[in-house]
Amino acid sequence: MTDQQLLWLLQLSDSNFPSGAFSHSFGFETYMYHEQIRDAKTFGDALVVYIQTQLTYTDGLACRIAYEQLEADRMEGLKRLNDTLFALCLAKETREGTRMMGERLWKLCRDIYGVDELDEIVQTTRSIHPTIVFAAVGRKIEASKRTTVLTYLFTAVQTMVQNAVRGIPLGQTDGQKLLVMAQPYLIHAASIIETLDEEEFGAAAVGLEIAQMQHERLPVRLFMS
Amino acid sequence: MSWTGRLQCTAAFKNGRTVILDSYGEGALKLMRSVYLDSAHPTLYLVHIGGGYVDGDSYDMEIFLEPSARLMVTTQSAAKIYKTPSTPVRQYTRLSLGEQSVLEYFPDPTIAYEHARFVQETTVYITPSSTFVYGEIITPGWSESGELFRYDWIRTKLKVHREGTLVLFDHLYLHPSHHLTDMLQLGHYTHVGSMVVLSPFITKGVLESFGFLMDQMSDGIYCGFSETAAPGFSVRVLAHDTMAIETLFQRIHQFIRPLYGEREPVFWRKY
Repeated sequence: MTDQQLLWLLQLSDSNFPSGAFSHSFGFETYMYHEQIRDAKTFGDALVVYIQTQLTYTDGLACRIAYEQLEADRMEGLKRLNDTLFALCLAKETREGTRMMGERLWKLCRDIYGVDELDEIVQTTRSIHPTIVFAAVGRKIEASKRTTVLTYLFTAVQTMVQNAVRGIPLGQTDGQKLLVMAQPYLIHAASIIETLDEEEFGAAAVGLEIAQMQHERLPVRLFMS
Repeated sequence: MSWTGRLQCTAAFKNGRTVILDSYGEGALKLMRSVYLDSAHPTLYLVHIGGGYVDGDSYDMEIFLEPSARLMVTTQSAAKIYKTPSTPVRQYTRLSLGEQSVLEYFPDPTIAYEHARFVQETTVYITPSSTFVYGEIITPGWSESGELFRYDWIRTKLKVHREGTLVLFDHLYLHPSHHLTDMLQLGHYTHVGSMVVLSPFITKGVLESFGFLMDQMSDGIYCGFSETAAPGFSVRVLAHDTMAIETLFQRIHQFIRPLYGEREPVFWRKY
C-alpha cells in the first residue's frame, strides 16, 4: 500500500468522517432499551454476532461484489446489487437511515475522491447503499479488494462501538478495547467474504431484524434507527 | 431437469367468480379439486404424495393469477424435511399476480428434522394494483435425542418484483451451529414466522390501526413489523410453538381481508 492510499483510507475510516452513521444504531438501541445490551461484555458478544451475520453476509459481501462489478464495468449488475440491498432491509427506519447515509457518503466521496461512477445509479434510483460507495472509493484509490472490504468492516464496527460508548454508556477506553477485541473477527470475516457464493448474499440475523422493526415504536430514542 | 414433483396452475376471473383454467401436477405434487370456501373464489390445497421430503428431492411450482382473479392457496399438511445425507431438498415457487388480483398464500409449517438441509426459493411478480398475502412458518422437528435444532440448515428466500424492480427480498438462513441461539438470531425461541402483505390498500391509516392490533398480540412471542418499500408491511415473529404464530397470522389475516372486500374470516377446514 502506498502512503497516499493509507492516508485516503485513514480519512475514510475516521470516526469523524461525516457519513451520518453516528445517528444510527441499526437495531442495537432496542437491545439497550431492554437492557439486553447493558455493558462492554453484552455489547461485545452482540458485536461479534453482528460481524458474523449482517456484516459478513450482507454489507461485506456486497462490498466485495460491488468492487468486482466496478472492476468489470458491469453497471447493470451494480444497479441490481444496490436495489437488492434496499429490498433486503425489512425495517423501514433502517432502510431510510441507510439511504440517508449512502447519499451523504456519495456526495462527500464525489467531492473529495472524485468518485463519479455512481452518478447514473443515484440519478435513476435516488438511493445508493454506503457499501457500494466504499467499493467505488476503494477502486478509485486503487486499494485492493480485500483492503477495501476490511476498511468497510472496520468503519462499520467502529461506528457501532462509538454509538455504544454514547448509548449504553461505556468508557472511551472500553470502546478502544472492544475495537481490539473485534480485530480477529474482522480479519476472519474478510477471509470468509472472499469465499462466499453469491447465493449466500443477504442472509439475515432474524432477531436483529425484529429489533430494528421494534425500534420505530420505542418510547425513548437516542438514535434514528 | 427432472423434478420429484411439479405443479402448475392458472386462475382466471370469469363472470364474477374465479375459475381454475388449467392445472397440472406431476410426480409427488398434486392439486386437490379446488374448494369454494367462499362463494366466488376458490381455495387450492397442495398435496404432497408420500410422507415427506427426502434426500435430493426437488419441487417446482408455478401459479398464475389473471387480472382480477382471487385465490387462496394452502397445503394439506406440514412439509416434513428428513435427513439429506448427499443433496439438500430444493423447492422453487413462482407466483405471478395480474392487475387487481388477490393471492393469499399460507402453506403449512415446514418441519426440519435431524440432518435436514432445505433450500426454498419463492419468486413473486406483482403489479401496483395486486394484493399479495403470504405467511410462512419454520419449525425444528423432534430428534431421537430430544434436542431441538438438529437440522443442518435451512435457507429460504422470498423475492418480490414489482414492475421490474425487486421491492422485497427476505433471506433466512438458519444454521444451528452458527450462533442460532444468540439474541441477534433466535435467542431462546425455536419457531420462526414471516408474513408479508403487499397491497395498494395498505395506507398510512391502515398501518396505524395495524400497530394497535400488534400491540395487543405480543404475549409470549417476539415480534416486529414494518412498512415495506412498496405499499404494504412485513411481519417477523419468533415463538416457542406453531400455534402462537398461526394465531398471530390469523388475526392479521382477519384484519386485512375487509380492505380488499372479503368480509368472512377464513377457516381452512383442514382438521
